[in-house]
Amino acid sequence: MAAGASRRPGLPRPGARRRGAILGAGRWEAALYVLPAAALFAVFIAEPIAANLVSSLIGPHHRWGLGNYAMAAADPVFGTAVRNSLLWVVVSLAFEIAIGFALAILIELHLPRGRAVFRTLLFLPMVVTPSVIALVFNTFYASDYGLLYGLFRALGLASAFPALLGAPATASLAIIAVNVWQWSGFFVLMYCVGLSAIDREHLDAAEIDGARGWNRVRHILWPLCRGTTTSLVVLGTIQALQQFPLIYLMTEGGPADSSQTLATYIFQTGFVQDQMHYASAVAVMLFLLALALVAVEYRLAGGGLSLAAKRARP
Amino acid sequence: MTPRAMQRIALSILIAATALSLVPTIYMVDISLRTAAHSFDPVLIAARPTLANYVVVLHSGHLGRFFANSVAIAGGSVALTLFAAVTLSFAIARLKIRFGRAILLLVLSALLLPLASLLIPITVLLKNLGLTNSYFGLIGPNAALGIPFATVIVNEAMAAIPDELEEAATLDGASSLTVLWRIVVPLIRPALIVVAIWEFLFAWNEFFLALVIMTRNAMKTLPLAPLYYQGPYMTDPGKLFAILTLIAVVPMILYACLQRWFVGGLMAGGVKG
Repeated sequence: MAAGASRRPGLPRPGARRRGAILGAGRWEAALYVLPAAALFAVFIAEPIAANLVSSLIGPHHRWGLGNYAMAAADPVFGTAVRNSLLWVVVSLAFEIAIGFALAILIELHLPRGRAVFRTLLFLPMVVTPSVIALVFNTFYASDYGLLYGLFRALGLASAFPALLGAPATASLAIIAVNVWQWSGFFVLMYCVGLSAIDREHLDAAEIDGARGWNRVRHILWPLCRGTTTSLVVLGTIQALQQFPLIYLMTEGGPADSSQTLATYIFQTGFVQDQMHYASAVAVMLFLLALALVAVEYRLAGGGLSLAAKRARP
Repeated sequence: MTPRAMQRIALSILIAATALSLVPTIYMVDISLRTAAHSFDPVLIAARPTLANYVVVLHSGHLGRFFANSVAIAGGSVALTLFAAVTLSFAIARLKIRFGRAILLLVLSALLLPLASLLIPITVLLKNLGLTNSYFGLIGPNAALGIPFATVIVNEAMAAIPDELEEAATLDGASSLTVLWRIVVPLIRPALIVVAIWEFLFAWNEFFLALVIMTRNAMKTLPLAPLYYQGPYMTDPGKLFAILTLIAVVPMILYACLQRWFVGGLMAGGVKG
């Protein structure tokens, strides 16, 4: 920001200050403003990361090295956890983005009134504590008395899906569906924010050029929402990777560890099996997986994040 | 297709999607209104609703305590996050400190941290500091984890303020603290509201850390309440679901009341420069 250039000549320059700074605050004064965030960051983020890294290097029989990592490489449950974590990211994001983008277009571009009602009602699952959601869906999915089971029985499907949460093939997907249910409203809202920032004139001009229906979605709206999509993909990736309460309270990672993710496996190894150093190594690998996924996503999107609405340019 | 027909189709799809997304909530409320005899019926809405479950639940023990703990922790987390994010953003966006951009990038990189990967070291740290079963044991980590998102929003809003406004104040001899409090904070109120609502939801609903930090019943938060009541009400889900409904309804009502400012703040993208 060119603060100095915009100042009219003849105005007295206030005090000693760094070039470009507006206020006459000294260096120590400025440091004081950084202090609260820096202290919280150092204590609750930097120290834990460092401590975790060190802890992960204390292998079996308290020998220093990569023993825990070697153990993980040979651990079939760790493999399942990695696969399930990736499944969580891919399936959650695919549905959340499709639902969010489609419903946001309907709300922002095809509703004459009542937009706030739909945005709000669809967002409501987002504000409910996951532990409450987990217990509601435990009942919802329950064989014998659950609502879904009642529906399946009416449709004659009950024997094909005896227990969604109790079968290794369906347990993870059944919980991911709950995650999608909870987070889609957030994706709708963020796409609404992104779409509302698009110039109406630009859309009208495109329509005159013949961009209608699917063409308009594909070639006009989707590219214009790219910043929103990239932000949501990154946020959604981290969210899916750290989901814990739903899995913990719906299957505890079971049956037979089939729905274990890295997040639940950290808890399982660290707090249930009391293998803190091994859990630390799993945590480091979760962190590395998050970084790798975000790096790939960022490359695919060609950069550019926007969390709040910005004027989108074609 | 005429715009009119498209509007009608859009409305029908949206109503269907919204109804579908409300099914679990309706189901939860309805089970809370059932008598024990009907609580295991596999239907969305059972016959003969009753409020008896609520009467029992509201008179039994700890729910008020869990609620008070949640209010204190969510309130403390919001206040601390806002304070730290506002002061940091002020230093970066307005005081233009050296390495400001590098600090911002470092803070942003923390957005990529899955909480699960920090769970164990934070637990060990809090144990060493004697902060297990204390409010600050959750407020501190909540605020630290909330700072990245808060700083993105607040920094963007602060950077959009025209220089002339504070320049005039500085020439009048105002200190940086006065400028921050009197000029900058009122201008970025929409952004602060977005951050406050988001951080409140995060802190109010946080389960993972609370599970391992709050081991004493007197310190538990609402997200832990379902676990606490699951056992005793195993055979009487009506009462359990009355508790679930009470826990869910508070943030729902709060959000419905505040959504105008939340959405408005997001759409404004900070302040108008």
